[in-house]
Amino acid sequence: MSLYGASSDTNVKRVLIALAFVALGVVGAFFYWRSLQTPPLATEIVALQSSQGSDGFARVIGAREMQFPRDHGPHLDYQTEWWYYTGNLQTEDGRRFGYQLTFFRRGITPGTPVHRASEWATNQIYFAHFALTDVASNTHNASEIFSRGAAGLAGATADPFRVWIENWSATSMNADASKVNLIADDGKMAIDLNLTASKPPVVHGAGGVSRKTETSGNASYYVSFTRMPTEGTLRINDDEFRVTGNSWFDHEWGTTSLGENAAGWDWFSIQLDDNRELMFFQIRNKDGSIELLSSGTVVEPDGATRFLSRNDVTITPQAYWTSSYSQGKYPSKWRVTSAAGDFDLTITPVIADQEMRVSFVYWEGAVDVQGTSQGKPVRGRGFVEMTGYGLQARGDVGY
Amino acid sequence: MKLILLKTILRDLLHRPWLTLLLIISVALGVAVVVAVDLANASATRAFELSTEVIVGKATHQIVGGAGGIDDGVYLHLRRDLGLRHIAPIVEGYVGAAELGGQTVRVLGIDLFAEPPFRTYITAGTNVSLDALSAFYTQPGAVLISADSAARYGLKTGDPITLQIGTTKKQITIVGLMQQPNDVSSRVLEGLVLTDIATAQELLDQNGRLSRIDLIATDAEAETIRQTLPAGLRLVRASEQADTVTQLTAAFRLNLTAFSLLALAVGMFLIYNTVMFSVVQRRRLLGILRCIGVTGREIFMLILAEAAVLGLIGSLLGLVLGIFLGRLTVALVTQTINDLYFTLSVSDVSIDALSLVKGLLLGIISALLAAALPAYEASSVPAVTVLQRSDLEDRIRRFLPSLNIFGVIMLAVGAGILVFGQSNISLLFVGVFLVLFGLVMYVPVLTIFVMRLATATIGRVGLTARMSSRTVVQALSRTSVAIASLMVAVAVTIGVTVMIASFRTTVENWLGQTLNADFYVSPPLSGANRIVSMDPALVERARAVEGVDAIEVLRSVTVAAQELGDVRLNATNGGRARESRIFRSFSGDPESIYPQLDAGAIAVTEPFANRHNVTEGSTVTLLTDKGARAFSIVGVYYDYSSDQGSILMSLDVYRQYWNDPAISGFSVYVAPGADVNQVEDGVRAALGGNDVVVQSNRALRDAALVIFDRTFAITQALRVIAVAVAFIGILSALMALQLERTRELGTLRATGMTLRQLWQLTLLESGLMGATAGVLAIPVGLILAAILIYVINLRSFGWTIFFTSVPEVYLQALLVSVTAALLAAIYPMLRLGRLQVVEALREE
Repeated sequence: MSLYGASSDTNVKRVLIALAFVALGVVGAFFYWRSLQTPPLATEIVALQSSQGSDGFARVIGAREMQFPRDHGPHLDYQTEWWYYTGNLQTEDGRRFGYQLTFFRRGITPGTPVHRASEWATNQIYFAHFALTDVASNTHNASEIFSRGAAGLAGATADPFRVWIENWSATSMNADASKVNLIADDGKMAIDLNLTASKPPVVHGAGGVSRKTETSGNASYYVSFTRMPTEGTLRINDDEFRVTGNSWFDHEWGTTSLGENAAGWDWFSIQLDDNRELMFFQIRNKDGSIELLSSGTVVEPDGATRFLSRNDVTITPQAYWTSSYSQGKYPSKWRVTSAAGDFDLTITPVIADQEMRVSFVYWEGAVDVQGTSQGKPVRGRGFVEMTGYGLQARGDVGY
Repeated sequence: MKLILLKTILRDLLHRPWLTLLLIISVALGVAVVVAVDLANASATRAFELSTEVIVGKATHQIVGGAGGIDDGVYLHLRRDLGLRHIAPIVEGYVGAAELGGQTVRVLGIDLFAEPPFRTYITAGTNVSLDALSAFYTQPGAVLISADSAARYGLKTGDPITLQIGTTKKQITIVGLMQQPNDVSSRVLEGLVLTDIATAQELLDQNGRLSRIDLIATDAEAETIRQTLPAGLRLVRASEQADTVTQLTAAFRLNLTAFSLLALAVGMFLIYNTVMFSVVQRRRLLGILRCIGVTGREIFMLILAEAAVLGLIGSLLGLVLGIFLGRLTVALVTQTINDLYFTLSVSDVSIDALSLVKGLLLGIISALLAAALPAYEASSVPAVTVLQRSDLEDRIRRFLPSLNIFGVIMLAVGAGILVFGQSNISLLFVGVFLVLFGLVMYVPVLTIFVMRLATATIGRVGLTARMSSRTVVQALSRTSVAIASLMVAVAVTIGVTVMIASFRTTVENWLGQTLNADFYVSPPLSGANRIVSMDPALVERARAVEGVDAIEVLRSVTVAAQELGDVRLNATNGGRARESRIFRSFSGDPESIYPQLDAGAIAVTEPFANRHNVTEGSTVTLLTDKGARAFSIVGVYYDYSSDQGSILMSLDVYRQYWNDPAISGFSVYVAPGADVNQVEDGVRAALGGNDVVVQSNRALRDAALVIFDRTFAITQALRVIAVAVAFIGILSALMALQLERTRELGTLRATGMTLRQLWQLTLLESGLMGATAGVLAIPVGLILAAILIYVINLRSFGWTIFFTSVPEVYLQALLVSVTAALLAAIYPMLRLGRLQVVEALREE
């Protein structure tokens, strides 16, 4: 599979994907309470998703002067928003782990709600996904929680930066939020990690704007910390591990949904040991083609960024893995090459099954990377996300 | 058994449609009453269970607080800091909904995201659209109601509903309808207004407070959670909560059941009469059967089989009738539960299979039992076609002494049970039945006695009069049963009437004594076991009105007592109300009761003392907002407001232990010389804008009595049915009697007696029997009343009723019995007119 031709904005499609993802997740949230007994059909979810209006919400149109920590916080004028932490960790004796902790926000109505007497009143829904990959035991576990954005149960603030749902949280440890403490505990597994950004925030695209489609306003804002050295503890059942490693943080917001003909997306975040990072995503259409607006960013050791259009990158799946749970046939090895980015990488999941079996089923997992970068052999680690390969609603797979 | 025999006898039935019908009706009536009451009870219980199910859901435990509820922070702490996931906050309350037929509905405020593990069936398959859910989640005043309710009251999405909440009216909007594919669940949803928790807090003015927190936890986990709870909060098993509420109505429901069984017992007399009647009528057929070689045993089985068949048909009919009656009864039962115990909405009778099976079995078994004696009699019909009835009567006469001894034994056992039966209500009712039937055993002897009296007095008037009283004695085996059944029915009527009248008088006197303020101010919808609140500021506004002499404030709440469960607590600062309370017993001198209350002691009502087996000197440990605290009882006072009983506490003491500044109502005393109506209008004006109920002394008293009368409406209805059953009984007995005497009557006609004289004879016989039943019913009724008052009520409800005699009841009883008897004579009299002397003489 390869990409040709020129492109406009950076990351457009990934933003689109992310927002659609959030939208679907929210629908999942709403139906989570029903799904346990009566599984909703995927078609029902799609139908309901389109019925969820976005009237009154702000659109991402012009470039945005990003200010931090303000823009790490929530943007309630936009319908959807997410804070996304992934990372590769290891113990001192080399035991490998991958983690994901993502907070999603969905506004039912725009802006801050009119003041109401009850503390419980809100127009926001928060939900989060938490997953751990344990390479040594070849296991991957995921869980999710939902909450109303009120009564102290869930919320997000900019200064100081904090986003939390119940006892899962990301809390800044310094003024510019480049140091963050992550906590999550679902009873079976837990993390308590400190992340410190080693490069300034990366603003993807032009002024952070990721246009989705040719239609103006169908876009979102996207910023990242692409390398955050990490240390802390991790617990699986009763075993606690001291771990170190690298994390990646994405923050996106906007008011959009997935296009009619999109089938799914693949997203890559790679941290190479020559201190370069690569983000790239592609949207797969139902007809098998790749969206024009698929794109990416290369971050140099000094923090300088370089835009990669669809035609700058070639992604070739080299092996597949089929989920017995969702029946999805996912790529499980890729060759990713780019002359513009000056790299040629082979990407392999640390374990094959890193499928997220939550309300919305997708694949998100830690990967190993090796190849060449700027002409030199290089190794690296990263995270890959893939959607649209299997049955997506939990109800479809027997829950 | 030979099928041909059954065919013979069943075909014979077809030739006697009236007789067959009578038997079927008697079974049907008895079964119908039992089934109706049982269905009503079962429906009420089921409705309660279902609403508990919808409310409690899968919760294993609940965290509950005092009247003020639970601080939001407690939930946040449990969920966010302790990371508990199977935990859900609930804000709920009762409100009036004008657009929902004016009924009291439950507002249930939930957090959508905490609900899934708990109330899956509010949620699963409700088919609420995403738009509706979005509005539900974000719009103030947005509610969901069930699609069935909406259809019933002609409401649709977007329509407003006006809620009566406390002293205010608030408007809400229906944003969606909850659909339930399952019929049972949808009925549960009917009394429910579902809202987001924020909306519920705002509507019920409970901002920052939760009504309770539901948990799913093992006992060990629950124990850990319990230890983290602040003082004043309790963690209870969900099932315990539900049980307490069901137990509330146990005595009430059992009493109803007992009354329905009484109706069935009267029905058994009736079946006995009817089967006896059919045996008598067929003496010739039975004789022929014996002649052709059918054995006595076979005849016995034959009569029983017939009774079983008719019993089955009657029972089936009774089930249908019972279901119909049940619909009427359930409304009465629900009303009473709402008046006295808790809010319950039962929109329909649930046809409980168990109730139906019970009714069917009861009908058939009573038919068999009642038919056993006539069947035995029939089996002893000698092969010679003529039975000398005098033989039978002689035997009965000889049997009388044993009957009397049997009666003594029943009376003794019954009395023993009543005295020593404590508070086992089922057992107590067995005692009542034993006493009643023990007394019935004396009916034959007493009938002979009364007839001798009659012979000696009215017998002087003429031949027919003398003949009539002697006939009654001669046919004792028949007449005494008819008299007994009428007597039992009338006695039950007297007993119940006297009991209700005594109770009513007691309550009236009590109300007169207790309600000594000029008028009372309370929020609408206040009722038994409901906590209503109003703003204490209203008191000051009322106090400022000219002509107001004094105001006394009441706070009525449910609090938890150690070991005793939830108890009602009335806290008042009443100075004048004190004079109105009459203490049954107290410690120390009467002057010191109130000073002791002010110092922190409590008084309890009589039902409370009886129910919980406490008295002055005992202590009750209440779980206050400041932790568990023992309060000593200084006295027990009479009170008829609740069979659950309540605790009286000084308002200052209450506020010292509970953080609850709200009040439930207040009473106003008008200054001497001021015009009560003027002051009342003044107070109304001062409280303008608040929806309060201002009731005068008189109106409150009347309202209380209306509830009282409503409570006993069902008992009254049962009484009417008992009389109806008895009437049919005496009718069939008389018909049997006349049929048996066809030859005798023929002879009388042949020897020159006129038709008019025969009519006279019939009327006199019947009237004598009715009068005997009426006369005997009076003492039996009084005994029943005494048992109901001094044993049943005291033990099951815990209150003392002062016996009141109701003279007109006795006259009424006599009148009813004689009228019933005379009416029952009409058919035999008509039959006499058609009597062919020759045919009659050929009869045997």
